[in-house]
Amino acid sequence: MFAERLRTWFENRLPISDSHTLTQGNIYIVPTKAGFAFAFTLVLMLVASINYQLNLGYLLTFLLAGSALVSMHLTHGTLRGLTLRVKPPAPVFLGDSAEVEIVLSSPNTERHGIGLAVSRARPLSFAWCDVPAQGSATARVRFVPLKRGQTRVPALMAETRFPLGLFRAWTVWRPAAQVLVYPRLENPSVPLPASQGVPGASLAARFADGGEFDGVRSYRRGDAMRRVVWKKAAKTGELVSRDTSESANRELWLDFDHAGLTDVEDRLSRLAAWTLAAEQTGLAFGLRMPGMQLPPSQGDAQRRAALEALALW
Amino acid sequence: MAWLETSLPRWPGWRHLPRETRDTLFLLAVIGWTVLPHLARLPWWCVALSALVLAWRAHLALANLRLPGRAPIIALLLIAAVLTLWSEQSLLGKEAGVTMLVVLMSLKTLELRARRDALVVFFLGFFLVLTHFLYSQSLPTALAMLVSVWGLLTALVLAHMPVGKPSLRQAGVLAARTALFGAPLMAALFVLFPRIGPLWGLPQDAVGRTGLSGTLRLGGVAEIANDDSIAFRVRFEDGFAPLPDSLYFRGPVLSRFDGIEWRRRSVAAPPITAGDVEPVRTLGAGLHYEMTLEPIRLPLLPVLEATPNRPGAAPQIEGYALTLRPDLQWQTDRIVTERIRFSAQAWPRFEYGAALDADERTEALFLPPQFNPRVLAWALEFRRERALSSADASALSTALLAHIRTAGFSYTLAPGTYGRDGIDEFWLDRKAGFCEHFATAFVVVMRALGVPARVVTGYQGAERSPLDGYYVVRQSHAHAWAEVWQRGRGWLRVDPTAAVAPERVSRSANLEPQVGLVAGALRTVSPELSLQLRALWETMNNRWNQWVLNYSRTQQFDLLQRLGVRSPDWQALGLMLIGLLVLGALAGAVWALWDRHRQDPWLRLQAQIRAALAPLGVDAHAHDPPRRLAAMVRERLGDRSDLLAYELDELDRARYGLRARRKIDPRWWPRFSFEAARLRRTG
Repeated sequence: MFAERLRTWFENRLPISDSHTLTQGNIYIVPTKAGFAFAFTLVLMLVASINYQLNLGYLLTFLLAGSALVSMHLTHGTLRGLTLRVKPPAPVFLGDSAEVEIVLSSPNTERHGIGLAVSRARPLSFAWCDVPAQGSATARVRFVPLKRGQTRVPALMAETRFPLGLFRAWTVWRPAAQVLVYPRLENPSVPLPASQGVPGASLAARFADGGEFDGVRSYRRGDAMRRVVWKKAAKTGELVSRDTSESANRELWLDFDHAGLTDVEDRLSRLAAWTLAAEQTGLAFGLRMPGMQLPPSQGDAQRRAALEALALW
Repeated sequence: MAWLETSLPRWPGWRHLPRETRDTLFLLAVIGWTVLPHLARLPWWCVALSALVLAWRAHLALANLRLPGRAPIIALLLIAAVLTLWSEQSLLGKEAGVTMLVVLMSLKTLELRARRDALVVFFLGFFLVLTHFLYSQSLPTALAMLVSVWGLLTALVLAHMPVGKPSLRQAGVLAARTALFGAPLMAALFVLFPRIGPLWGLPQDAVGRTGLSGTLRLGGVAEIANDDSIAFRVRFEDGFAPLPDSLYFRGPVLSRFDGIEWRRRSVAAPPITAGDVEPVRTLGAGLHYEMTLEPIRLPLLPVLEATPNRPGAAPQIEGYALTLRPDLQWQTDRIVTERIRFSAQAWPRFEYGAALDADERTEALFLPPQFNPRVLAWALEFRRERALSSADASALSTALLAHIRTAGFSYTLAPGTYGRDGIDEFWLDRKAGFCEHFATAFVVVMRALGVPARVVTGYQGAERSPLDGYYVVRQSHAHAWAEVWQRGRGWLRVDPTAAVAPERVSRSANLEPQVGLVAGALRTVSPELSLQLRALWETMNNRWNQWVLNYSRTQQFDLLQRLGVRSPDWQALGLMLIGLLVLGALAGAVWALWDRHRQDPWLRLQAQIRAALAPLGVDAHAHDPPRRLAAMVRERLGDRSDLLAYELDELDRARYGLRARRKIDPRWWPRFSFEAARLRRTG
């Protein structure tokens, strides 16, 4: 309990930043269990050398002691000078795990065996990477956000035991990046509400066939992936989309007030699931929430806009 | 052989092995290499068991099979413990410890699941390396173990490189670098760490580099025939030069015989003290001598016979408690690990041991019943034939020496090995051997004839150095002779080796080793190269002995004295060591401080440029390249800044243009700052 509070206090006083350069001031180092065991072995070897008066035993013991001391500096040096940067993570649904991409770059030498993890996670699951000399490497860490909306990436930890495993050097860092968490998807999902014809159009029959294909037009941003004519794209190298007219003629409203559940979060979950389903069908859909309204449209951009609205509502 | 192909996995080639498999095989190879020098010393079952376990583990790694559970491993460990008890009669002590260590180490490889589990193996491995030094600290051993330590460190580094498949070479270089950086600390600790005596009493098996370890079995002294290192030097005062055949330096006296091995008396009889009624009767004049003893790594002083415990005659050494055992051997309270010098007085003509107590007599007559039956029969026959039934000890020994001279015995350093009834075989069949064979056989026959007899080990003979008058005694002067007890006179020295090889004793030619196969071939092909190689080897070996093995308290204090410490002691050593460590730590801290502020030279230069431009009213950003700065300078200051802007363009070309270089011409900055300063003044 006390340790937990201490840890919270400690993490809260760390500065928040997306880029973290490791210096003497923010790297911690202590011997590992193996380090203590090694020290015990060395003491035993020293006693044996003294008792049997073995000069070579002294040499061996002192060689290992010297290597251990050097390994402490090497362990510290593996982290020192590194710069860690967090890439803005992609949005996720509540309940899924978010993936944080961390770029480690070394200004000078090659670094080995650096593990990254979410510092509060138990057990710690490390993503290991090596950083090339004057280059950078990427590590991916996952965490599960606990609430909907903009959520800050939790404190991260970089650790190394390289080269001999006798010392553990680590750093803790609070990134400024936030992840957008959509509502939890309803599972199992309920069928979409019925769509209405746009006044003046009567192409309901065509929609019933599941979206007949009228022709193609060149790809526009926001077109759903499934509407891209991949065969043609593969042949010509030009992205073209199917142009269906029925979707333009019918529209679907996803309405908070008609979602049918009492709990707000449950309703948001249902709306999120509907959003995905509506985008799948290729229909133009709009979102109506108390106090805001998203006009009907279709495609990926509309899906993202709707989910973001649900996430931040 | 179809089953072989199906049951054994195919060898895919070292490079194509999966990483886990390769790392495991590498570690197994390192363990194998580390155990290898112990093979001759381990009991056969231990060798078989560890070879089997290591091979099994390699098979599991290659075939990618699951490791066995805990139960079979613990069962194997218990079996090994029982076998150790059976073959060593103990679970403690040097031999048993090494056996158990090897077993533990090989069994632990069966538990290597995660790479981190390997840590126990590494620590056991380092300890195993140390155990080799109990037996040998020679240069080859040191080199072999250096390879072992390197291998273990490499495996340790590999275990902490979790990403991808780093090459063994890379890990090896990293390990070597770690050890190399640690070498200065090693040297400082080795030189300055206070050499203190043993923390507690050593088991009897602690020693064993030379043949005078207090036990003797046939073949034991032969090992040291190869050891040409100096055991001690002796100088006689008053310019007296004794004959080599009177130079017997007394070591352990062995009277207990169990059929295989000769040991010292088990009963700890009270030592001879100066106040006792003198058991030694000296005849003639005493001989003053000074002995400089090298670190012989034995708990004894090989003094000249006979050096009694009398005021003025007994040796005295500061820091050692010396006792004279009842068998006339001078004992030290700890192993001699440094060069010591003492003076003493000896009487080459002496008598002692006139009164033999019952225990001693029984032991000096004891012959184990199941051993050497033919020699016992031969002895009875001998006595009957020669009509010696009423002869006393000296008459019997004279008759026996005559037999040795005439019965076709020969002296050789390479008699081959003898079996269980070694004395039978030597005395009646092969008749070839060296001092230990002659001495032990002589004692056995004398006992069979009813005469109390025992074996004395020590050094015999010396080389007289013509330069300084010192007598040099080498390890290869190690010798064994006999003592027989005669009523009324006490113990008498008899050297049966002299009967067959008088030159060994009288001219004191030391034991010259037999030439090995390779050396022999080399000697016939190119005698000169062989000589050169031998000389080189001897020089290296000598350096090694002097600088590493014989480095001790004396040398430490010498070093301190040379560094200007008046009266060197522990405190001075400790202070110096601590001072050196503190100095090292301080240097490290200073470096860290400097390193913290170290910057990329290019970034530093840019910051300098911005600082120089700021007073001129040019507000530059960190990301502005020099050519942009040049444009800003031109815009802000107009024509009079042409030179400054030119310099900035120049810098831009040097950094980013064709033939760009990372390093900027060091003359650029003075030119630029001079021009900037001129502009600021005229501004």
